Amino acid sequence: MTRPIVLMRGVYGVWLREITRATRDRGQLIGGISRPLIWLLILGVGLNPYFRGEVYGEVRYVIPYTYLQFLFPAVIVLNIMYTSIQFAVSVIWDREFGFLREVLVSPMPRALILLGKVLGGSTVAMIHGGLVLILARFADVTLSLEQMAMALGLMFVLAFGLTCFGVVLAGRVRSFEGFGVFSNTIILPLYFTSSSVFPLDPALTRTQTATVYPEWLVFMVQANPITYAVDALRGIIIGFNQFDPIYGPLVIFGMAIVFFIAALIDFSRS
Amino acid sequence: MTSAAITVDDVSAAYGSKTVLDHVTLSIPRGSNFALLGPNGAGKTTLINILCTLRKPDGGKASVAGADVVSQPTKARQSIGVVFQDSSLDDRLSAWENLDFHGLVYGMAPKDRRRRSEAVLALVELEDWRDEIVRSFSGGMRRRLEIARALLHEPEILFLDEPTVGLDAQTRQRIWHYLDQLRRERNLTVLTTTHYIEEVENADMVCIIDHGKIIAEAPPEQLKAQYGKRWLHILPKDDLAGRAIQARHPEAQPLGSHSLALPADDDAVTDAFLAEFRDSLTEVRFQAPTLESVFLSLTGRELRDRADGQRDAEKAAGKRGGRR
Repeated sequence: MTRPIVLMRGVYGVWLREITRATRDRGQLIGGISRPLIWLLILGVGLNPYFRGEVYGEVRYVIPYTYLQFLFPAVIVLNIMYTSIQFAVSVIWDREFGFLREVLVSPMPRALILLGKVLGGSTVAMIHGGLVLILARFADVTLSLEQMAMALGLMFVLAFGLTCFGVVLAGRVRSFEGFGVFSNTIILPLYFTSSSVFPLDPALTRTQTATVYPEWLVFMVQANPITYAVDALRGIIIGFNQFDPIYGPLVIFGMAIVFFIAALIDFSRS
Repeated sequence: MTSAAITVDDVSAAYGSKTVLDHVTLSIPRGSNFALLGPNGAGKTTLINILCTLRKPDGGKASVAGADVVSQPTKARQSIGVVFQDSSLDDRLSAWENLDFHGLVYGMAPKDRRRRSEAVLALVELEDWRDEIVRSFSGGMRRRLEIARALLHEPEILFLDEPTVGLDAQTRQRIWHYLDQLRRERNLTVLTTTHYIEEVENADMVCIIDHGKIIAEAPPEQLKAQYGKRWLHILPKDDLAGRAIQARHPEAQPLGSHSLALPADDDAVTDAFLAEFRDSLTEVRFQAPTLESVFLSLTGRELRDRADGQRDAEKAAGKRGGRR
């Protein structure tokens, strides 16, 4: 009959299942809250003083922002990365415990099953990223509604791409245990080389200005797509960009498209 | 609507070099209660997987409700309901949420979803559990919920892969009663796979499958009349007596726990046997023709899986007994 509605219902059903499951998974929620607290409260507060200095009797910041402000958007990205990539566990779960067959024998097209699932995962990841926004006041970040909406939009697309990446990983990992180790060895290096905890060009004192990071590190930062996601969010949230502001959205949307296609190829094969 | 509900035409399937389905051909009429009977590993589940489009056949063609499972999988999926051998429920959702999910995925309207969910929950007597998380359910309750879910979207064909494992007799009876009613009213076709003989006594048609081949296909009564022998089940006093009997009667087939089965069609042979060995036996019993004995005659093995240690013995027995 009215086929689009029928198909929409299916996507909605798969999406709703992911959301319902996420609300029942306390562990993940606790991680989503404790992670930003640790990063902002401990690392952020602890390193805040080192990010500024006195130059000719005047307090200056390395960049025109406090360290907490600088770190804040990166912690959002970190939270999204964890939740999105951990989403692969849900994919492995479905596969190993037989639930996948329930949807595979249904008339729903494979691509829409995947779409619903990824949309569910990215919604959860976006919400986890949004949890960080609650700490905005604490990090001395004020957001207008417009900024908030733009940030959430970008966060969702980023979450979508990373969730698809998680699905691709899930296709290559056989066990839950293996995945835990695997995801940590992917998430943290990506995070640290995304210019999340230090700016690429420190320029406070003369010595700092004279210091140049080793080329390999600069290369890794520039080659890391997460760098541009962090940069884009920084642009929206505190108005500071280290790169051309067009790169951020370009990379984020690019990742979403490329990884969705990769996930789709993987998923239709299984 | 005169075509068969399910047709399987010369279907083969293999895992690596191991053949699991060997040129199987079947035709199942609409509205029938068809049972696929065979031991574990006979290829039943593989056949079900092919019919519900989860696996492509390596050769041959199959169609359900007139739709080819390879070229028109979506059409085929619309007309089937499947209960898998092991649970495919989401155990973090409640019973109701599992049903609602199923309804959404099958594109049912909200009103239909509610009406049907209530109806199928009532069928399997889980109304009081509708908002409980499935994780807290017993095996039997999960099974019931799965059967309910498979019927939610009113399929034309229902696949039940080992459906009643863990169900009590009452529930089993009620579910079969309801399925029979659906067959009469809506011409529902039910395909059951099982290795429990009790399950198939009331099927219209029984197909016995072993090592990926169909070895018999007929209504149960006909099977019993045709292949059912009367058997003499005996328990030898000790191993020595057992070996002596087997040496004298090579047609004797070992069952589990040291007992033997002897064909008992010919009274003269039976009398002679009893006269010779009566002192070496601790137990003697006549077994009237049942589907179990049909299976024994056809394959030289008992149907039910014994403990692992005895499986090899059964295999050996199969070789000794030879196959018809």
